[in-house]
Amino acid sequence: MTAIRTSELTKRFGPDVVAVDGLDLRVESGEVFGFLGPNGAGKSTVINLLLDFVRPTAGSATVLGYDSTTEAQQIRQRTGVLPEGASLYERLTGREHLEWVARANDVTIDPIPALERVGLSPEAADRAVGGYSKGMTQRLALAMALVGDPDLLILDEPSSGLDPTGMREFREIVRAEARNGRTVFFSSHVLAEVEAVCDRIGILHEGTLVATGTPADLRAGLDLVGTLEVEVASVPQEVPLETIDGVQRATVQDGTITVSVVDPTAKIEVLTELHERTRVLDVISENASLERLFDTYTATGGDRRSSDDRIGDPSTEVDR
Amino acid sequence: MSIRTVATKDFLDARRAKIVWLVGSHYALLIGVFFLQVRLDGLEGQSGLFAALWNMVFVGAVFVPAIALVAAYLAIAGERESGSIKYLLSTPVSRRDVVIGKYVSRAGIVAASLLTGFALAALLTVAWFESFQVSVFAGVVFLTVVYALAYVGVAIAISAVTASRSRAMLGALGFYFATNVMTLNDDVSGLAGLEYVLNEVLGLRIADDAIQFIGMVTNPTRAYLVATIGVFPESMTEATELPTAADLSWYVQPEVAVIVLIGWLIVPVVFGLRRFKRADLS
Repeated sequence: MTAIRTSELTKRFGPDVVAVDGLDLRVESGEVFGFLGPNGAGKSTVINLLLDFVRPTAGSATVLGYDSTTEAQQIRQRTGVLPEGASLYERLTGREHLEWVARANDVTIDPIPALERVGLSPEAADRAVGGYSKGMTQRLALAMALVGDPDLLILDEPSSGLDPTGMREFREIVRAEARNGRTVFFSSHVLAEVEAVCDRIGILHEGTLVATGTPADLRAGLDLVGTLEVEVASVPQEVPLETIDGVQRATVQDGTITVSVVDPTAKIEVLTELHERTRVLDVISENASLERLFDTYTATGGDRRSSDDRIGDPSTEVDR
Repeated sequence: MSIRTVATKDFLDARRAKIVWLVGSHYALLIGVFFLQVRLDGLEGQSGLFAALWNMVFVGAVFVPAIALVAAYLAIAGERESGSIKYLLSTPVSRRDVVIGKYVSRAGIVAASLLTGFALAALLTVAWFESFQVSVFAGVVFLTVVYALAYVGVAIAISAVTASRSRAMLGALGFYFATNVMTLNDDVSGLAGLEYVLNEVLGLRIADDAIQFIGMVTNPTRAYLVATIGVFPESMTEATELPTAADLSWYVQPEVAVIVLIGWLIVPVVFGLRRFKRADLS
């Protein structure tokens, strides 16, 4: 069964901004789908379209088989949502938030275990949310999303505001929820986190899906290279590094030799080769990262801007 | 059911807001001050009672809209600005449930604030004027509550069609000035301007009552003031400059004004709801 399906989904804001551009997306039931893209790529707009917060200019979407614009209530009944950049009610306590969401979903809830599930202490239950830290708010929001045992979890940038430990815990919770057969739609601009959690990834760029597949698929689709940086005491003359199988290129700069490899196993041969000729001081090895994959897919032609450059650009600030 | 979950949660949230208590306590305070003024003027018995109740109407006319607007103008726009509306709409409720639930909740808060004032008024009436005209008192209470809720409805409508706090505030202030502050002085009211254009400039000779009717339909404060004429016995309204019911055309009778006022309870909210249903919340 298909959990989320969009066809030709398009959203324009005004005449100039195309936030989502003819998106065809398919998320299968039971999978953890990573929705990856730089800020401003249109991720939040897609989520807003799925939840009927905004209406499509063209195209359509179904969530759990229900039409997003005409059957929004059925979708909300079966979906837990962690929206991005939304505040909770600062005058209400954690317990009151959970009880309200439970009542709205027509279920009963025991707030304390629900809070403990997301790493919040029982004392937090009776404190007003206005006094919570960003990380605590985000945990409470996840607990609220889990109320009523939803079939689908839609998490929009869930790790924002969390420290590294919090992010790891968050991922563990998401993985546990996915093991229960739940579908998880996980949007993020953090590659490592998506790679760690998701079965399949879709990369969104300027409102269109530029790639989908498992992390391994996406890697294989490109001739991605790893790098090896070797700091040496003296740079040996005439090292035939580029003749080693799997080595693409070797460059030397100030006592550091940088070697690009297509095949990771070539790294040890490079090291052996260098070790025979000089003293190796330090070795830094990097795998072909999703970061590079991400850049490759999202860079447009010769204009290889990093995602950070795009943050201040008003014409593409359509997130939220 | 869904309306109730929205209203219950909103009521819980709003009643913890300081601003709600601040404006909510004003009505009782003002009632106390105006009753005291009548008392200090040395009016007693029937005449004191009527003067006090008449004061209550005027306190109502000017301050009740302010209380109602302040208590409700951020109900939806505030949530849109903070983004919490996404949490609200992630639960299985419709946008209609949100607007109506908010209306119910804020109407309840405003009504509770007014009822405190009425209770105080009732106590002071019995203590100071030793007579309690139940029908007049009940009439004023009923009309003032409907009037307040009409303004709550307008505030909810403004809140539903605006996406930010500042715009909602501008809308609420604008409506308050246009329908209330400006009508206190007939020389600057929109209605006086309309009459001037129709009768003086265009020479259409539209009757005063017809102008009054336009005033009632476009302005809940005028509808409220006309409606209250029907509550007081003629022996009392004779002493004022106000026309008696017998002098007025059928379509500006107090009963018609009550119906117009009830229309104000519904029409703005329906308009706001229709716009809100189509709005992009992002």
